[in-house]
Amino acid sequence: MAETFGVKDVESTLARQTLLDADLVRPVNRDPIRLLPWLDVVVLGGRVMDRGGKTVTTLVGELRKAMKSHRMLVLTGPGIRGRHVLGVGLDLGLPTGVLAGLVAAEAETNGHLLAGLLAADGASYVPHATAGHQLSTHLAACPLVVSNGYPPFGLYEPPPPAGKLPRYGSDAGALLLADSYGANQLIYVKDVDGIHDADGKTRKKITTTEAAALRTLPVERTVLELLDRAKHVRSVRIINGLKSGTLTDALAGKKIGTLLTAD
Amino acid sequence: MSDPGTTLLGRPLDDPDLLAATAGAPDYPILPNATVLKIGGQSVLDRGRSAVYPLIDQMVELKTEHPLLIGTGGGTRARHAYTVGTGLGLPTGVLSDVGSAVAGQNARMLGYLMARYGVPTVGNEAFSALPLYLSEVHAVVFPGMPPYGMWHPTPEEGLLPPYRTDAGVFLIGEVYGCKQLIYVKDEDGLYTANPKTNPDATLIPRATVDEVEAMNLPDVVVERPVLRMLKSARYIRSIQVINGLTPGNLRRAVEGEHVGTIITAD
Repeated sequence: MAETFGVKDVESTLARQTLLDADLVRPVNRDPIRLLPWLDVVVLGGRVMDRGGKTVTTLVGELRKAMKSHRMLVLTGPGIRGRHVLGVGLDLGLPTGVLAGLVAAEAETNGHLLAGLLAADGASYVPHATAGHQLSTHLAACPLVVSNGYPPFGLYEPPPPAGKLPRYGSDAGALLLADSYGANQLIYVKDVDGIHDADGKTRKKITTTEAAALRTLPVERTVLELLDRAKHVRSVRIINGLKSGTLTDALAGKKIGTLLTAD
Repeated sequence: MSDPGTTLLGRPLDDPDLLAATAGAPDYPILPNATVLKIGGQSVLDRGRSAVYPLIDQMVELKTEHPLLIGTGGGTRARHAYTVGTGLGLPTGVLSDVGSAVAGQNARMLGYLMARYGVPTVGNEAFSALPLYLSEVHAVVFPGMPPYGMWHPTPEEGLLPPYRTDAGVFLIGEVYGCKQLIYVKDEDGLYTANPKTNPDATLIPRATVDEVEAMNLPDVVVERPVLRMLKSARYIRSIQVINGLTPGNLRRAVEGEHVGTIITAD
């Protein structure tokens, strides 16, 4: 046989490792840098977008004003149409990964609606690949970029420990991306004042452990575990987008709504 | 739960009753006749033709009777880029794209070698054509890394992306409801330690995920998320890890023989 041309290994600290022995991998571990430390990430929940009308146009007005002093990635959720396609898909027997992609398409639709309203201000909807790889350049062209809150998992959505529903929605997707970028802050614009404790009172501040004990949350439960593992975004703010001015205040750093913090 | 459809419209998606109800939703496997193979990067492809050509011969022989989804691993170049990237403090999301690039190179090379048999390489965005390829040429090659990119979940420790090519290929097998999943590596299966560095390591021919986790092994032959996801899977409830360097092993495994380590969800 002719001689071998290739060499099996290129030398590095991790060469020949399975990468599954934590002791052997540890020498390369370090804290990651922030890629976009000035980035503000805002999630417009799907239920907020579903209201349309004055709710959405008021928020758009606040975003337009904020463009003067903030560089923002605005991510949209799917809303009730996402629930509908989820129901049809489940009934058809389709697997979790297919369901995830179907729901994400509704988050994209809401992104297109929002971007249409901000088009004259220079904003565009960009798909996942662009939000993940060319965000910098787009923000240099316009201080507001719209994209899909869902992560691009699609078929690769990890199977949930119970049931068939995808666990990584627009809240989780936004946190994953914001933390990856080392963003300045992450604000969830929902249709409630924040996280309510068992007495129905809105908490000004709550930890992930305390939030985990509550029966219902205005954000996906997956956010709690992701927040505990986040490298940079160690707290997120939840505000009521139905109340005019809350988004402006939150972006300015005012302590409204609920601040959910990693333990 | 009566009328889960209406409940789905209104209740939080993490409602335990709703989740339990969806566990009872029907399952319609999409490609139930397909066998999923993961061709190792470091263990196989990096070795060049001495390891790869015999596997191609076996896959070409097998594919008519056993339609194949062939996922590729990363390997030594990924390890080098992960080392450089972590040294620069780049986040997990950037390293995820590194892994994807190397798995992509391997998928392209393997695809070119199988091109004369009609087998294409498909990228993540081209999966919609999978059914056509499988019905016409009975095999496709795809890069094994999940396309998480900047959305890659943070690992418990360090920066390396936790869902790499073993996990990506598992997820494809699971979402398509495939018949079986075989990891083609360069060891006879799962050992009690890394057999390349520990001469006392012994082979474990069969184990459940719980048994493997109870052993608390310092190193394992397949990415740890795969073991976790096996327990949540609805289709891929067991995997076999085999030595692809042993002549004929791949054919035997695809035909249902136990030639390596079988790990089961329960």
